[in-house]
Amino acid sequence: MIFSYNWLKDYIKGRVPEPKKLAETLTMHSFEVGEVKKTRGDFVLDIDVLPNRAMDCFSHLGIAREISAIADLKFREPFSEIREDKKLKTKDFISVEVRDKNACPRYTARVLTDVKVGISPKWLQERLRICGLRPINNIVDIANYVMLETGQPLHAFDGEKLEGRKIIVRFAKNRERIVTLDEQKFDLEPSILVIADAKRPVAIAGIKGGKMPEIDKKTKVIVLESANFDPLVIRQGSKKLNLKTDASLRFEHGLDPNLTEFAIDRTAQLIQKIAKGQPAQGLVDIYPKKVYPKKIKLSLDYLESLLGIKIPHQTIKNILQRLGFRMIDFRNRSLVVEVPTRRLDISLPEDIIEEVGRIYGYEKIPAVFPTAVLIPPKRNDEMFWENITKNILKEVGFTEAYNYSFIGEKEAQIFKYQNRDLIELENPVSVEQKYLRPSLLPNLLKNLEKNFRNFPEIKIFELGKVFKAPESEKKVLTGIMIGEVFYQAKGIIDLLLNKLGISNIWYDEYRTKAEEKEISWWHPKKSAEIKINHERIGFLGEISPRILNGLQIKPKVIYFDIFFEKLAKLTSEEHEYRPISKFPAAVRDMAVLVPRLVRVEEVLNKIEMAGGKLIRDVDLFDMYEGEELPEGKKNLAFHIIYQAEDRTLKSKEVDETHQKIIKTLEKDPTWQVRR
Amino acid sequence: MTLNNLKIEAEKAIDKASDLKALNDVFKQYLGKKGELTQILRSLEKLPKAKRVKVGKQANELKKFFEEKIKEKKSSFAEAPEDKEEWIDVTAPGRRPVLGHLHPLTLVKRKAEEIFENMGFSVVEGPEMETEWYNFDALNIPKDHPARDLWDTLYLKNGLLLRAHTSPVQIRYVEKNNPPLRIIVPGRVFRYEATDASHEVNFYQIEGLMVGRDISAANFKAIIQEFFRRFFGKPVDIRVRPSYFPFVEPGFEVDMKGEKGWLEMMGAGMVHPNVLKNAGLIPKNWQGFAFGMGMDRLAMMKYKINDIRLFYSGDLRFLKQF
Repeated sequence: MIFSYNWLKDYIKGRVPEPKKLAETLTMHSFEVGEVKKTRGDFVLDIDVLPNRAMDCFSHLGIAREISAIADLKFREPFSEIREDKKLKTKDFISVEVRDKNACPRYTARVLTDVKVGISPKWLQERLRICGLRPINNIVDIANYVMLETGQPLHAFDGEKLEGRKIIVRFAKNRERIVTLDEQKFDLEPSILVIADAKRPVAIAGIKGGKMPEIDKKTKVIVLESANFDPLVIRQGSKKLNLKTDASLRFEHGLDPNLTEFAIDRTAQLIQKIAKGQPAQGLVDIYPKKVYPKKIKLSLDYLESLLGIKIPHQTIKNILQRLGFRMIDFRNRSLVVEVPTRRLDISLPEDIIEEVGRIYGYEKIPAVFPTAVLIPPKRNDEMFWENITKNILKEVGFTEAYNYSFIGEKEAQIFKYQNRDLIELENPVSVEQKYLRPSLLPNLLKNLEKNFRNFPEIKIFELGKVFKAPESEKKVLTGIMIGEVFYQAKGIIDLLLNKLGISNIWYDEYRTKAEEKEISWWHPKKSAEIKINHERIGFLGEISPRILNGLQIKPKVIYFDIFFEKLAKLTSEEHEYRPISKFPAAVRDMAVLVPRLVRVEEVLNKIEMAGGKLIRDVDLFDMYEGEELPEGKKNLAFHIIYQAEDRTLKSKEVDETHQKIIKTLEKDPTWQVRR
Repeated sequence: MTLNNLKIEAEKAIDKASDLKALNDVFKQYLGKKGELTQILRSLEKLPKAKRVKVGKQANELKKFFEEKIKEKKSSFAEAPEDKEEWIDVTAPGRRPVLGHLHPLTLVKRKAEEIFENMGFSVVEGPEMETEWYNFDALNIPKDHPARDLWDTLYLKNGLLLRAHTSPVQIRYVEKNNPPLRIIVPGRVFRYEATDASHEVNFYQIEGLMVGRDISAANFKAIIQEFFRRFFGKPVDIRVRPSYFPFVEPGFEVDMKGEKGWLEMMGAGMVHPNVLKNAGLIPKNWQGFAFGMGMDRLAMMKYKINDIRLFYSGDLRFLKQF
């Protein structure tokens, strides 16, 4: 909000800091000040008043009070006394009825007669302009001036245009309409509070005045309104009508009901001085539930303990008094203060501590390390394993991506997600972000598509949350690779799981159920379930061509998708050294020709069974299907490592075992060990 | 010639040899077929037994000595002549093993976690889908607060919302753990926000909370100063000024001095008594500080990144730089 430096100075006795310095001071003790701009003999301060202080600091008086407290200067309240015309009584001119006391806790009105509407004096126009307001006529300008001065919005009606000399504060009726001062038409509805005369709305309460009872050159009698409205009513009304004004901004944040009287008198006083009006006697004041100042007790020990600094008593007292708090009691390390009603933000001892702390200066608080009991931080196991997992994937060449937590309708359709499984946003920012992501894959595949032009070889992963209706939220680890790389991916998963201390790993063909055929985004014959101790912890496989087409991805893509929370629970840091055998190992190779659909695992099992204890390890080093081989066959080539723990194996012993394996394998006539 | 003289003479000759050829000549002269020492050794059989044993021993030792000497000398010559053809162009680029890359936000998160863990803070996480209670009410954010509008918070059709900050975890943690406590909460948060170079619809925060019998604003200053100093690896200038968040009182904004003036780094404050109460504590027994800072912001400062959207772009040209 914009403030005039000269104007602020009016309310302070003594030397106010230079504008630049003032801006710094306010930033450190009250509110951040943006730019300081020089204009026509004045300076403009752009002050970012904190939302909880709008009720007293959307005003020059409020800011001036802050300055006086910070700079320890005397605050000078402006004059608001008026000379009333004893012959005229306000209540004879106007009657006010408030239908909803909660929506309008206070309504004050004054009447001035014999006003001379004209243009405002130069100084007044100038101040309004500096603060970004356009001068209109002296009456409207004075009302605006007092709003900028006190924070209380005011409104002036032409008294002779008010039907029945009546003001009624009520909610609008269905189909009621209003034309505002700036000729905008609004259809009203029953949630919008209005000021009405005997016949129709004459203003949208707290937001904008109506055209009808507008002040014009011929206006002689003025009815001034200074009222207090419920912040929520005004906020909702302003939102509904999509109409924000200087008045609505202030009412939305809440105002002190006790402010209306001071502000209306101040306005009447200025009108009398500038526009020659005669104030009628008395104030029409509908104020059924008067707000009284609160009293708060504060222990100085608590103040010192919370801020971590000792502040002299006299300083504390002085700060609070400058801010307008009344000292009621101050002894024995505790004080009782009365809080001015404009400080709606203050209701607890902590609020008072903040006042003292910030005015005294947070910069004076020393940096002191806490003296705390030495409790070592607890390790977050899930994060610990998360870090290890990411490191391993990085080491094997994967790059980590962070994607949006959302997918759009398009992805939902390509992946054929069922609507009942997706969690939809009530207010998505865009159509691409309509649902919470049910998997990390859609966005990873989009990454792939985007990067493919620059990087022919892509290995990316993400570890993040996925969501499923009604309200499940899970952490998953998903990665994708380009090419015919199923076995590389499988090897990476083996390596990863081993490094996480997991050994009992199993891969099962994922049998796509009939009802899944249509919707599966994995290739039905190239997908495996990853199992640990018979528990499924994820999937590994090839992305279905249907999905790749939908996303316009040309190369084959292998993915893995792991439930990370499950995985993290199976990890182990235990690891035992296995003694190195003192006796040499003998390596023999074996190539087996088997029908295409025979699983490697079956062959391995047979080799291990037949070889028994002498086999240390069997290692598949080649798998080949091709022209040179008989139709429907594939060639599997193994290194078989023989080793005993207690002796050096004799060549004869190894040969015998090797022969035994060959015999076992060839029991099946379709299998043939190649020699 | 005595063996002693032979030794002195031969040693001199070896030392003098300036290249391989000269050294070969020396070898021939003493150890070759007709070499002087060879001849002595051959003539041994003619000697009487007692003398033979004595001289034989000496001569053999001398032979060994010469061989060692010559070997030593040989290795002192720079290179074999044929090696002169081979060379390595050391300016040609090395071949790097292919490693992957961690996301810059992961790196920043780790760094921050490490610093706070060293100061005794535990790292805690919480759900991304939250209830209104944990995201707002429990944090002393009243029902009619503007932040609860549809225009600031992302609401879900299942009745939950996407957390707008990591602060709900404060409540969740305190409900289950007794003070004194020290935690940080890194995590993804969401806002209804039109994206631009400095705004994203999802981003990362680090929340901190320390509660004890007498934890003060002075303690907060020390902890946070230490954090920034370690994070940026140099002394930093920070300032604490007033701010407002419903869940703290007093409320602070922490700025750090940058090249072009002060930069807002975090919102913080002393935990509001209503928040302690909502988390199940008796406010008069406990006090402490809480803070929240944007991790994206930290990463942007650390790596001089000027557009927050890069973090979520999945662009490998960006990601492979970390």
